Amino acid sequence: MIDLAQNTLDGLFLGSSYAMLALGFTLIFGVLRRVNLAYGPAIMLGCYAATWVHLNSGAGLLALAAVAVLCTTLAGAYVERLCFAPHRQGSAIAAMVASFALWMQLEELATLALPRHIYPFPPLHGGTPLEFGALTLRVESLVMLGAAVAACAALWWILYRARFGIAVRAVIDQPGAAQLAGISVPRTFMLTFAMASAIGGLAGFLVAASHEQVTPMLGMMFTLKGLLAMMLGGLGSLPGAVAGGLALGLLEAHSQWFLGPQARDLIAYALLFILLAARVPWMTTRSAS
Amino acid sequence: MDDYAIGVLTNIGLVSFLALSAYLLLIAGEMSFGQQAFFGVGAYAGGILTAMYGWPLPLAALAAMALGALAQLLVGLPTLRLRGLYFAMATLAAAEMMRILFELVHFQRAIDGEAVGPDGTQGFRGIRWVFAHGVEPIEYLAIVYALLVLALAGFLLLERSRLGATLRGVGEDPELAAALGVDVNRCKLGVAAAAGALAALGGVLFAHHNTYIEPRNFDIMLGVHSLAYALIGGLGTALGPLLGVVLDIGALEGSRVFQGYRMIVFGGLVALLLVWRPRGLLDERTVRWVKQRFS
Repeated sequence: MIDLAQNTLDGLFLGSSYAMLALGFTLIFGVLRRVNLAYGPAIMLGCYAATWVHLNSGAGLLALAAVAVLCTTLAGAYVERLCFAPHRQGSAIAAMVASFALWMQLEELATLALPRHIYPFPPLHGGTPLEFGALTLRVESLVMLGAAVAACAALWWILYRARFGIAVRAVIDQPGAAQLAGISVPRTFMLTFAMASAIGGLAGFLVAASHEQVTPMLGMMFTLKGLLAMMLGGLGSLPGAVAGGLALGLLEAHSQWFLGPQARDLIAYALLFILLAARVPWMTTRSAS
Repeated sequence: MDDYAIGVLTNIGLVSFLALSAYLLLIAGEMSFGQQAFFGVGAYAGGILTAMYGWPLPLAALAAMALGALAQLLVGLPTLRLRGLYFAMATLAAAEMMRILFELVHFQRAIDGEAVGPDGTQGFRGIRWVFAHGVEPIEYLAIVYALLVLALAGFLLLERSRLGATLRGVGEDPELAAALGVDVNRCKLGVAAAAGALAALGGVLFAHHNTYIEPRNFDIMLGVHSLAYALIGGLGTALGPLLGVVLDIGALEGSRVFQGYRMIVFGGLVALLLVWRPRGLLDERTVRWVKQRFS
């Protein structure tokens, strides 16, 4: 019983990092109708930049977080310019394959700067985990959950209360009409991309801090988990992305505990396959061709 | 030719089967992230049949191709109605499930006092049919390319035939094709079976070239690479995917000029190339232009 509660908690914390990644994917997919495979590697580059700063200076955690967010955003802007701006009207497959090419590029850039397989990353909180009765909580997990909630709140405020958000939603729903109404569609794309990258950079920093290490596998992990969470929650829906991220986290925490790490991934992919094959209504509402 | 050149050329040939498999699905309008799974099915099935049960390689290759076709049909039946990203993600999910299953399979037999067979994440070593039957690397290279030429001839015949036109029609606009009386679903299932068999053939050849395979060989990187090869080379002709493979493995791996910076150079070039030619170097327009000039 206590295991079940502990797993549920761990799953929620894990899921909040997935939810942030899925939010970034969904923002990009929502406005562009394109998949950005280089999203994870851009975040990884941000984490590597923060690690490099950490190894070469005595910068504090806040400075490292700023470096991660900034570098992810720069990498994201580069991906947008090279892969998505030229293919705005054209082929979705070409944009996606171009983003895969940049995935390879960003990953190699990161591993050229820091070639070892593992580098240490400073933890947010060096001390022992907090204990509540029989449950243990890591400070990193609480910060992750807090960051995810803050990111969702900020995103909600921007999208539903700020003027810029009206433009973004108009572009998502009716790009042609939005353009006619005087909204600059390219500028909206660029800013949305930057927003998505910033959320991803923050998530990446928190994941690296809670793993206390960075490895070259991070890029693929961020992309796959973000895509999986986005698809589970329904393509292009922001509340769906949060729900999909949390569901994926809970599913992984429980299946890892009961069945082991290989079964964890197997079950997540099997669930995605079955839901897609069954064409459950919430997953097939948006056009994705 | 030295061994290194033979190795690189053989690799180009092997991966070309996978690129052709991705290409076949692309012209029929489906983008797969999962062709590596059927490459893996071919590699494991072929390896098991020759190394554990003593089958001759040609027979094992045929069986592996049949299995690859069957596997892709099984994945395709529930998913081929999905469009675009939905299909891509469904194939990715299927392929990752397959890779994890390869990690879970422990199935070994004692051959000459040595345990042979897939051993989970430890991989599957000792697929030595080629070596044991005295096939020289240069001969194996010739076999791989003979099969590739055969596959290409099949593709070129297909492109000239009514069936090829039908497939491109299904890829361009399935509703219109259906309205013209094409059985879109049957068409796509046929394409899926052929693509699975092609990928599996590549896998069998890969396993017997390397003599060692492990689940990690068949991860998503391989699948997205094959998709990229098809798109870089061009969707106008079956020679396109081959050009993509040659450009990546051949020119860059072979020359070693950009060692350490290979993906930085290549990744940037691919992204720029796709800005200039979103359907690849040998796209439909180029192919049509060449045909008009030389016919």
